[in-house]
Amino acid sequence: MIDPLFLEGIIKILFVFVLISAGLIISTRNLSSVLTTYTIQSFLLAAVSFLLYLIDGKSQLLLLAGLTLASKVILIPYFISRIEEKIKIGRDLHFAYLEPTPSLLLSIGLILLSYTFLSKVFEGLPLTKLFFFGAVIGLSLTLMGMLVMFSRKKVVTKALGYLSMENGVLMFGLFVTELPFIIEVLIIIDLVILVMLTTILAVGMDSSIEEYRQKFRKLQVWTGVESQ
Amino acid sequence: MIRYYLLIMGIFLALGLIPKSHRLMNALAAGNGMLHLIMSCVALLTFDLPGRLGESLYLDHLNLYVELITALGFSAAAFYAKGYTDSLMEAGELDPKNLKTFYLAFNLLLVTATVALFSDNLALFWIFAELTTVCAAMLVAILSARENIDAALKYVFIVSGAMLFAFLGLIFLFTLSEQTLGEGTLNWTELAVHASEFSPALLLASFTFMFIGFGAKAGVAPFHTWLPDAYARAPSVSAILSGLMQNLGIYGIIRMYALLRESSAAPQASSILIAAGVFSIALASFSMLQQRNLKRLIAFSSVEHMGLLLIGIGIGTPLALFWTLFYMLVHVLVKETLLFSAGILHRQYRSNMREDMKDVFKLQPRAAWGLILGSIAIVGMPPFPLFPAKFFILLESAAISPYLTLIVLLTLILAAASFANFLLKAFSKVTVEEEENEEEDHRQITRTLAGTGEIELENVIVKAGREKDRLPGQYMVRNGMRVPAIFMLALALALGFYFPDSLRDLLNAIILELGYV
Repeated sequence: MIDPLFLEGIIKILFVFVLISAGLIISTRNLSSVLTTYTIQSFLLAAVSFLLYLIDGKSQLLLLAGLTLASKVILIPYFISRIEEKIKIGRDLHFAYLEPTPSLLLSIGLILLSYTFLSKVFEGLPLTKLFFFGAVIGLSLTLMGMLVMFSRKKVVTKALGYLSMENGVLMFGLFVTELPFIIEVLIIIDLVILVMLTTILAVGMDSSIEEYRQKFRKLQVWTGVESQ
Repeated sequence: MIRYYLLIMGIFLALGLIPKSHRLMNALAAGNGMLHLIMSCVALLTFDLPGRLGESLYLDHLNLYVELITALGFSAAAFYAKGYTDSLMEAGELDPKNLKTFYLAFNLLLVTATVALFSDNLALFWIFAELTTVCAAMLVAILSARENIDAALKYVFIVSGAMLFAFLGLIFLFTLSEQTLGEGTLNWTELAVHASEFSPALLLASFTFMFIGFGAKAGVAPFHTWLPDAYARAPSVSAILSGLMQNLGIYGIIRMYALLRESSAAPQASSILIAAGVFSIALASFSMLQQRNLKRLIAFSSVEHMGLLLIGIGIGTPLALFWTLFYMLVHVLVKETLLFSAGILHRQYRSNMREDMKDVFKLQPRAAWGLILGSIAIVGMPPFPLFPAKFFILLESAAISPYLTLIVLLTLILAAASFANFLLKAFSKVTVEEEENEEEDHRQITRTLAGTGEIELENVIVKAGREKDRLPGQYMVRNGMRVPAIFMLALALALGFYFPDSLRDLLNAIILELGYV
């Protein structure tokens, strides 16, 4: 049996890595690096959940780690990488509203905000320091994922932002309470459907392939303000 | 029970994939809507409410009422869809290969919404509400024009992102119940019983997060940004977006607020709702004022109405809730009339823009009247039933602050003015009369010149060409496209003159069940 305090220390270090990965998703321009970062982030999450299992010994946590590994480290990244190959663009250069540096500064603010908010809300709750910090990191990750969805332009990056948001929610749930396992499964199913839908649509939007462009030009029938 | 339902509907939908004829596919969709309509009527009449169906389904007056509205709106949209999609395919805007996907998503939308409404478990509600988002996005994206995909993606990202916040709220709620009851639960029924024991601060946090999610689903400002795009781009079946999706969000908010009402955090929750409501109404009214796109105008009017519904819920008195619930029904009736008529105009002019509409009364008189009457109804003029609904909600709001009433009233007037402005400018453009004189001259000249048959012939060709320039050929409105619009409007008008006792009893029962009295 490994010393729980040591495990807790490792979890805390993983928290730092999770935050770094969130920051990288906000600022990286190269699409495949964003995807790799997301994969690493999901892997970190699976690791956290596994370490918690070692501390608590609840088999549900082990299942969750396995589920995360299968869906978010293998299945979804594989699918997205296929799509990225298909659309033949490597980079998401432009940012809407916020450039990376202000975004990162803003995320610092968001982390502080979630800390103050949660310390107020969780006043009466018997959460240990580790679990409280886990919740804070989870909420921050959610908010930073939202930032990605706001500030990135390519659909694939937006989808990864959404996925990173969901990682945050999962992490929050992991540390605050024990959700019934069936709910976690349902969320993953929802996630997979959503990723499939958005990335398939993304082939139409992000694609640099000329034939798609032409197809769309031909179909530009729903005239509104923009196309007039 | 939920398994049986999903199994039966799954078989039904799979069967729906077999037929090749459009007529049959459409009949199945309409049948699906009617089936749900009849089932909810039967359940309302025969069931001992509130009751349970199996482990995870829960029936009470509120969700049956919302289901009734949903199924009604869905059926009308299904009847309308046949003619509309036919013309879309004729114009080459919809790939016939996508027709099956269209109907699949369309039917699936009703099924998922139904499960969401009746599920007792909040997590189940959340998941199925998410699935409705996916189905609706598919409906928006089905036309595979770039703008449509753009609108669909915007819709998915905003609503699903916001729904993740709702999930955070759900986790809060689960923790709360775990703390108070010893064992965590997410069942509405159990939560409602113990809501007064929960810690108000956590409950409020949970409510706020849930409000973000459901508010985005309902299209409440500032989470409404997906709505105008989705409305403007979706084939006119966007009617079900207002009839179904938005009510689903409002349903979630009503339930959550009913939970909060038991605790001491109720005033704060009320102020969140009212603030969001006022903001929605104000923002929508100002966006409507100079709106030149008809469907966007209607979309912003939806945002405005959602704002008013929020105020109605936020006031928190039984009377306000009564009229809010009634408002939900009438809003769907009138909004669908408007969208159906706007769809016919879009087919006529191939555009939603005000500038492109000419000679409306000559080309599409009935759709024009549908829009005019619908606008009168939507701005809340008597005898249409939105008048008493708005009147009583405003009256109740005065108890909170007379300034609130004043602001809302002013912005409502602004919204009414925008409708009037749009209709006056769009419908008053007549080009034919002046040119008739011109034509007369032309005819005289040619008559004098007409020595040989050759010139006659040329004349005819010239005339035909000019006619084409002048009047875009009249769009033949297909069978069944007008009927739903007329039906919905007639129903709304009937409700304005006669308030059935059964409806009143139903609404009162809802208020009683939510613990308002």
